[in-house]
Amino acid sequence: MEESRALEQLMVRYQQADEIAARSLIEQLSPQLYRFFAAQYGNAEDASDMLQDAWLRIHRARHTYRPGEPLLPWIYAIARCVRVDSYRKRRRIAVREILVEVLPEPAVASDEPSDLPPFDELIAGLPASQREVLTMLKVNGLTLEEIARATSSSVGSVKQKAHRAYERLREVLQSPRAGKGALS
Amino acid sequence: MTFDFQALPPLPSDRVKQIEAALVADLKPVRPIAPTSVYLAAFAGLFAAISIVGGTILGQYGWRALSELQKIAVFVPLAAITALLVFSITRQMIPAARHARSSALFSSGLFVVLLLIMTFIFRPAQESAFVRRGLVCFGTGMLFAIPAACLFALLLRRGAALSPLLTGASGGGLAGLVGLAVLEIHCGNLNVYHIVVWHVSVILVCVVAGFVFASVTFKRWTSNH
Repeated sequence: MEESRALEQLMVRYQQADEIAARSLIEQLSPQLYRFFAAQYGNAEDASDMLQDAWLRIHRARHTYRPGEPLLPWIYAIARCVRVDSYRKRRRIAVREILVEVLPEPAVASDEPSDLPPFDELIAGLPASQREVLTMLKVNGLTLEEIARATSSSVGSVKQKAHRAYERLREVLQSPRAGKGALS
Repeated sequence: MTFDFQALPPLPSDRVKQIEAALVADLKPVRPIAPTSVYLAAFAGLFAAISIVGGTILGQYGWRALSELQKIAVFVPLAAITALLVFSITRQMIPAARHARSSALFSSGLFVVLLLIMTFIFRPAQESAFVRRGLVCFGTGMLFAIPAACLFALLLRRGAALSPLLTGASGGGLAGLVGLAVLEIHCGNLNVYHIVVWHVSVILVCVVAGFVFASVTFKRWTSNH
């Protein structure tokens, strides 16, 4: 709660052209926005492009943030829009281009190895709407209310999507071939 | 349930610095957008003003020809659709505002109800110059819908619509409603076919035009970066 208020104050100062507040806001929010993009596609290049696009749009739309309103749903509504546009753009490109070679992403070493598959692989087979809700809940730590506002839906609808996603993941994790590609 | 978040690719720190540099270079103070009530009043005020001016300039033959029941049956749903659409548009201007889509959908549902009401309360009649008279009405409706659309677009520019196609269609729909309101006040022809084909088509054409306009401008906007 305190953290949210601090972010909202930074946003107000950003609107007033406070350079320190702008830098601080970008530094504080970029990691979680990046995770929001990367968790659903797992591609570092695309995720950082989307991050940059998201900040440009946030910058252009910064006057539409009303002081006193929750900031995170406002930010994520824009981020979500960037993600959808990027997805459409990549689909358009994909149908025009013939992929001749796929270079694998270098694996990132983990300090504490988990017995679960990576998050992006785990959710890859879920429908896009469930994947989005799960990412916002588990990766970005948004509340149900915040997700509902960011996705222009009701709290009930968000709960239902999360519940269905959990059910699906539970089934996959309990099955003997749990792991890579199990959902797809 | 814990996930392996570590496997997500790390955030490149140089990219964050690039973003900071780009945004700080363009940093200017901005005034937060006015409260929703201001925009509600602006949209509703423009709607009412153009409709009243249109009705006054052209003459209120339609208003005089309608019975009390017909006036209620036409103008009450028309006002309800307008109110819902204005409510939706003012919310579409702000990211993460509540009930933006649901009210737009609800208003389109009400529009179908209005259409059904019109087919029940007006009677079919033989018309000698159905197309010629109809085109005059259609042109009159568009004559007021187009300036209304331009004024609404000026208001909408201040917001940040995240679903530009929906906002374009909603704005077009609202402008079309202005045209319909002017025609219902002005046109004394109560032939159901005339009303459904030539009056209502003003809304449909405006919705499509708003959608197309938004898709073209949005494509241009997204290709700029």
